[in-house]
Amino acid sequence: MEELFYHEKGLFLQKLHPAASLAYICTLLVLTLIFTNPFYLAGLFFCTGLSVWMLEGLETWELFLKGGLFMTVPIMIINPLVSKAGATILWRGPSLPVFGEITVSMEAVFYGAVMSLRLLDVISIFCLYNIMVHPDKAMNMLERFAFKSALVLSLATRMFPAMIRHLENIKEIQLVRGVDFSGGTFKQKINKYTNLIYILLLSSLEDSMEIAEAMHARAFGSGRRTRYVRDSIKPADSVCLAAAAAALLTGAWGTVKGYGVMNFYPRLGPAYSRGDMRMLALLLSMLSIPSLLSWGWRYCRYFR
Amino acid sequence: MAYTIVAALVLAVMFLSFERGKATSKEVALVAVMSAAAAMGRVVFAALPNVQATTFIAMVSGYVMGPESGFMVGAAAALVSNFFMGQGPWTPWQMLAWGLAGASAGLIKRIFPGIGRLGMTFYCLLWGYFFGWIMNLWYWSSFVRPLNINAFIAACISSIWFDSFHAAGNAILYYYFGEGFIKVLKRFYRRMKVTVRYE
Amino acid sequence: MPIFQVKNVSYYYPESEKPALKDINISVDEGEFLLVAGGSGSGKSTLARVLAGLVPDFYGGIFSGRVLFKGRDIRGMDRRKLSRHVGMVFQDPEKQLVKTEAEAEIAFGLENLGLPQQEMLRRVAEAMDFLDLAEVKGRFIDKLSGGQKQKVALASVLAMQPEAIILDEPTSQLDPACAEEFFNLIKRLNEEMGKTVILIEQRLERCFHLADRVAVMKDGKLIIEGAPREVAAKSVAGGMPFIPPVARFFAAMGFPDIPATVKEGRGILKKCLPLHNADEESLGSAGSVEKIGDKSGDVISLKKVWFSYNDKKEVLRDINLRVFPGEFAAILGANGAGKSTLLKIMAGLLHPDRGRVFFQGEECGNKGEIFREKRVAYLAQNPNDYLLQDTVEQELAFTIKNFNIPDDGRIDRLLGEMDLKRHRNKNPRDLSSGERQRVALASVLVTHPSLVLLDEPTRGMDYALKAALGEYLEGLCSSQLCVVMVTHDVEFAAEYAKRVIILHDGKIVSDGSAKQVLGNSMFYSTQMARMCRGFAADILTVEDAMETLAPLLSQNYKLALERGLW
Ligand SMILES: Nc1ncnc2c1ncn2[C@@H]1O[C@H](COP(=O)(O)OP(=O)(O)OP(=O)(O)O)[C@@H](O)[C@H]1O
Ligand SMILES: Nc1ncnc2c1ncn2[C@@H]1O[C@H](COP(=O)(O)OP(=O)(O)OP(=O)(O)O)[C@@H](O)[C@H]1O
Ligand SMILES: [Mg+2]
Ligand SMILES: [Mg+2]
Repeated sequence: MEELFYHEKGLFLQKLHPAASLAYICTLLVLTLIFTNPFYLAGLFFCTGLSVWMLEGLETWELFLKGGLFMTVPIMIINPLVSKAGATILWRGPSLPVFGEITVSMEAVFYGAVMSLRLLDVISIFCLYNIMVHPDKAMNMLERFAFKSALVLSLATRMFPAMIRHLENIKEIQLVRGVDFSGGTFKQKINKYTNLIYILLLSSLEDSMEIAEAMHARAFGSGRRTRYVRDSIKPADSVCLAAAAAALLTGAWGTVKGYGVMNFYPRLGPAYSRGDMRMLALLLSMLSIPSLLSWGWRYCRYFR
Repeated sequence: MAYTIVAALVLAVMFLSFERGKATSKEVALVAVMSAAAAMGRVVFAALPNVQATTFIAMVSGYVMGPESGFMVGAAAALVSNFFMGQGPWTPWQMLAWGLAGASAGLIKRIFPGIGRLGMTFYCLLWGYFFGWIMNLWYWSSFVRPLNINAFIAACISSIWFDSFHAAGNAILYYYFGEGFIKVLKRFYRRMKVTVRYE
Repeated sequence: MPIFQVKNVSYYYPESEKPALKDINISVDEGEFLLVAGGSGSGKSTLARVLAGLVPDFYGGIFSGRVLFKGRDIRGMDRRKLSRHVGMVFQDPEKQLVKTEAEAEIAFGLENLGLPQQEMLRRVAEAMDFLDLAEVKGRFIDKLSGGQKQKVALASVLAMQPEAIILDEPTSQLDPACAEEFFNLIKRLNEEMGKTVILIEQRLERCFHLADRVAVMKDGKLIIEGAPREVAAKSVAGGMPFIPPVARFFAAMGFPDIPATVKEGRGILKKCLPLHNADEESLGSAGSVEKIGDKSGDVISLKKVWFSYNDKKEVLRDINLRVFPGEFAAILGANGAGKSTLLKIMAGLLHPDRGRVFFQGEECGNKGEIFREKRVAYLAQNPNDYLLQDTVEQELAFTIKNFNIPDDGRIDRLLGEMDLKRHRNKNPRDLSSGERQRVALASVLVTHPSLVLLDEPTRGMDYALKAALGEYLEGLCSSQLCVVMVTHDVEFAAEYAKRVIILHDGKIVSDGSAKQVLGNSMFYSTQMARMCRGFAADILTVEDAMETLAPLLSQNYKLALERGLW
């Protein structure tokens, strides 16, 4: 259950200030969502992969990508089926009541493929988030704006694995008392499993009073509170923050200028132009700064 | 992109409205426990096809504790369970969908206080589909072009079996266990407000 | 000047008819170490909550009387001020930690107090250093051991720099070694840092000697209060169990001067008894296996069993164990040694990676052993996890219905045996903790099993409840049935178990009769055994000592008195 939970490995990218790492991840995400040019999407994929590699997370990435590939299947199928905007028709199907005549065009197939790439991008970025940002750090950031919600989240995160263990114990107890979880109808099964949750809930609610009591005894809600700041901004954080901001601005400027976006319908527009490539090179160099620093931090004394 | 922004805004507004309430330790602890329990709902029924007790628990919490806490329970359940099962682009949308399920149960209680067991069962059934549609909205709004209602309907039809299991699970859970859960939760919720008499 | 003065305090929890506290009067001096003892439900925790200001503010209810903190009424005091001066550590570390990381946890209270950043940094660092928590920094709190979690909880209270610290059974989840370490920390807080400490504890042998003063509660009233020795004398006079074994022994012997520690006890013995040569006796018996009871067919036997969860560390290594009918065996060992895991393997809930398990001669396969479940009763740590039905009777009926056993009056009989007849139609969740435990036990015994497995059955129980449980279990062992129990409570094991097994890091390091194993161990040994080591062999409990030592002792004591040695 906890394989996917964040593992502290003491790596450079994990030690970044949460503001810097979140800014970097958000930039990647926004850029993925505004660009449609496959070269750009592939470039972002490469950048994300680089960071994942620097975080020693290739195995986790593989897990995410495998899951992602499954999710791309419907995109590849539905896009061509519902889109009628493409001009180069590859196949004409029968006519259906709501949808009219089914056609599959080359543009739509291509669009589906590019969108699948985008989906893999997004999934990789979330994978990066998973292995790069300690849940606590993200919640600390949230605490600035929404302290109560952040506390609920951190409390629930702490309790979740303990509850899973508790649930296992409850299930074992039921097993020993003769409940057969594999047999029975759908309804009986739901009944057995709900009993588990019910027992868990009863105990957990009682626990919640004790937790509240412990919080109350530690002066929770007794007036204005301050925030304990653990992370201070280091030079490396400023560099990463600046790189992310620059990449975001460049990307935004580029889209306004028409770079990075590709026309699919009615006919495929050009994906490659010299301006496009220059712009992409610029973006990628900005986005790989954190990974570069990470590499340098490890192998080159000068960077520290 | 536009949908993502709307979703983020809704999340932010709901979080802030939870924030506005008075910060008592009991409320925070109760909401956290319910969120963790709702997150467990994804694990417990793993053996059954798409029965998501999370929806049920979020809705029961919303029903008893009101829309703000209900939203928080659903949203936190999604986020927290994904810390362990993997965050993904689906996370914000699950937060939104489950959060809204919780909040809407709180709202319907306010609007129709006498909704009754059958009414709520039906409402839970509906949320099985709503949940699926919200998740579809994410998927298709980001990856399918041109975006038209037909495409969306196609998506919803393709997931109808999946959603039906979810809906049926919800309905069965509420019909047979809803009242029991609500009774227990209400008892604890009442305990939050204390009165002291000095003699 | 007293730091706390409690004057005529009575208190009712909301919706409860019975007062949890009745007319309590007590005052606690600054820098004092007060130990509060008493039976389950006697109001110890409630008194602690009163002192911490949690009752009545947090709980509500009806309150009368006054509580003064340094001469000022708590009722009018700002809550923030009070929590700055009075800290409280609770029983279960799981239920008092709110953050996912230790440093954030320690800072939580300071944030609530609204302290400036610089001050918080300093205090967090100090608390972590004092409790030696550097290594847990940055780790996910859920992954820490029970002892570490409890230390984090203590640190988070200490960081608030309270003058008085209240601890409500802080070590009931810890193994003997961890508990010892924790008590040493508390002692240092009291002695070196001058903090007032109020400690609630069920197992007095571990802390009686630390206290300056002891208070005993019963039914919401304070019945005895005074220096440890006085309390020991009065308790004995009143026939109450709230004193540690050493004191109980000397009090029962009618000594005028009652010692509270092993050291003092040995001092008295030295005056009265010649020291045996300790080397000769009992050497070589440690670790040897002596079988007790009917040696023909064993109930369960494990042969070369290895086990690991998800293929990481081996949790059980090469376990060989046979349990025979009529035996009452206790498994001891540190937190995480694999005791619960071993019990689950015996119950058929887990299956060994390597090795074989035989139950009544039949080898168990690797699938769900329904046939075994009927004949094995397994009682997990938390009795609440058993309670699902609306009445006690249904709880028992639920089990036999699942196994398709007809009710041939066995429910009736069992309820009678376990003194639960009065409650048969009550909701089990409305019962007291000891009664819940019995309901849970009844709900697994109703199948008439041949092997009873219990995981820490005495946690949080008082002496009376423990004695009742121990006697019931002893009576249960018969030619048909054997009991295996995991426990951290060495005194309990010594009193009732005939056989003791010590597990260390997944290996059985010692297995034999209780006298052999506990008599020779350092940590897993009873207070009486420690005191009598070198004077007489095979003494574990007060009863043992009364039998073998008392005649000698009373003779020599008289002699000593005559010669004026006293
Ligand atoms: N939150 C509560 N609401 C209502 N009644 C309570 C509550 N907590 C305790 N009581 C009741 O108050 C009485 C005293 O309980 P308290 O917890 O103080 O006992 P205790 O001496 O600490 O027992 P234990 O050794 O089992 O912890 C008991 O009868 C108990 O049932
Ligand atoms: N479900 C599980 N999954 C993975 N590891 C586990 C699981 N349960 C226990 N362990 C690990 O196995 C080891 C032995 O655990 P076990 O619960 O058997 O110890 P124990 O002797 O009962 O300890 P305690 O005295 O604290 O109850 C520990 O290191 C623990 O972390
Ligand atoms: Mg108590
Ligand atoms: Mg255990």
